[in-house]
Amino acid sequence: MAYDKERTLIIKSSDQVPSTTLFKRFPVPRNFGVSRESRIGRGKTWPAPAGAMRVKSFEIYRYDPDSEGNPRLDTFEVDLDDCGPMVLDALIWIKNKIDSTLTFRRSCREGICGSCSMNIDGTNWLACMRFISDLATPATIYPLANMQIIKDLVPDLTHLFAQYAAIEPWLKSKTPEPERERLQSPEERGRLDGYYECILCFCCTSGCPSHWWNGGRFLGPAVLLQAWRWLTDSRDEGTGERLDNLEDPFRLYRCHTILNCTRTCPKGLNPGKAIAEIKKAMVERRS
Amino acid sequence: MDRLPTRSPLARAIGLGSAKEGVEHWWVERVSAVALVPLTLWFVASIIGHTYSDYATFIVWLGTPINTILMILLQVALFRHTALGLQVVIEDYVHSGAKFAVLVTMRLGCFSLAIAGIIATLRIAFGG
Amino acid sequence: MSSLRAKRPRPLSPNIQIYRPQLTSVLSIVNRITGVVLSASAVVLVVWLIAAASGPEAYAAAQGAITSWIGESVLFGCTFALFLHLCGGIRHLVWDTVHGFELGSIYASGWAVVAASLVLTVAAWALSLALAG
Repeated sequence: MAYDKERTLIIKSSDQVPSTTLFKRFPVPRNFGVSRESRIGRGKTWPAPAGAMRVKSFEIYRYDPDSEGNPRLDTFEVDLDDCGPMVLDALIWIKNKIDSTLTFRRSCREGICGSCSMNIDGTNWLACMRFISDLATPATIYPLANMQIIKDLVPDLTHLFAQYAAIEPWLKSKTPEPERERLQSPEERGRLDGYYECILCFCCTSGCPSHWWNGGRFLGPAVLLQAWRWLTDSRDEGTGERLDNLEDPFRLYRCHTILNCTRTCPKGLNPGKAIAEIKKAMVERRS
Repeated sequence: MDRLPTRSPLARAIGLGSAKEGVEHWWVERVSAVALVPLTLWFVASIIGHTYSDYATFIVWLGTPINTILMILLQVALFRHTALGLQVVIEDYVHSGAKFAVLVTMRLGCFSLAIAGIIATLRIAFGG
Repeated sequence: MSSLRAKRPRPLSPNIQIYRPQLTSVLSIVNRITGVVLSASAVVLVVWLIAAASGPEAYAAAQGAITSWIGESVLFGCTFALFLHLCGGIRHLVWDTVHGFELGSIYASGWAVVAASLVLTVAAWALSLALAG
């Protein structure tokens, strides 16, 4: 599925590689609205080892908190015959063979832990799930957009997880615990499908322009998708207070249905639809 | 106060708590949008039909009751929708203390323009 | 040791400077830009109505400004903005009923909005020119 780079106008699934857009970036100045400490400078070029036949260039965002400089863009030439097929394989190859200071998060290498989320060729995706053959030349790798950067490709996700904690993602119940399990029909369990599978990689939230401009107060698609997961769970008894806590011009209503979230979700989930369901519930409960 | 760095991440995410309102704004924006679909189509069709009419024809046309009513309804829905839409745009991009001044100015401006447009329409309808 | 030194503020990773424009975000910002343009057009509408209410001379001045070549091009732009915002708005109203959220539908409806706006704008202006001459 990821091998066919068909140039198509209608994207049917989020794992279709975004190779058909007319522009690679919005027509804004390179350092538009960027604070002094965030300006990206030119970095080093690291050539491939001698004898490499198939070489691909990767431009990778680097930032070292222990030295004085600004972030920079380093260019690495990767020997494709010596490393695996995915972008994460290339990053690990660079770390092993070229520059051991390259820092990134990774764990499962199969698209289920959500650690290696980053901005690859302009859109957020999991590095372990993106084929190198689907990338542009040179490939550009940035950390998740609009995040405070701890080092290289590692963003500080503290605020995002705090927003997740703020929606109280646990079962709320007032009636006493039943003798055995809390009953749920297959249809009711089916209403969780498409929402419980979220791996909290935050590709969607860091790709949402509304979260870029108002991320301090807007909860973002990942957290709102989880909020809907708990709202639609038939066993949960806190629906009213959950909706009360979401009904806010910033927490929920900064969503303007831009839908970058649904386009970029590496698990194929639909945060835009979840948020629309929340907004529908808001209207239904007062009419 | 709610966003000081000494506050815990959870406290900063919670901020001042939920405002417990926001659905009314969303609802009125949609209702005015639904009203605007037929009203703007009527308006565009009328403008096209009167491209090269002279002043007297236009005044007589706007003076007929149905057209006066539709023009007033158009302005009510238009300025309601405009005020709500611009409020969202200002809240998105303006974060300094000037935000409230800009919001109030915009809202008063939209209200004044609506009144001005409605009175102008009525003067054409009832005047000479 | 490092806690004694003043910490450098962490840099923010680039957002709009590097994020790829896609049909989703482009149509959304177009809907917003056309909305702001139409807000300005609403002001012009009220000015025009006041001119019409003020008598034939004021109305003639307003019509003169509109029928100048710069007025006509602004009017053409505003018509295109109107139809883009109208079709985009209908797309939003459909989403509010929680329909059309599959990626295929999002993209199909998005291209439909662009096509319909172009067709409606050209049709409106062609009709206007046909009625005149």
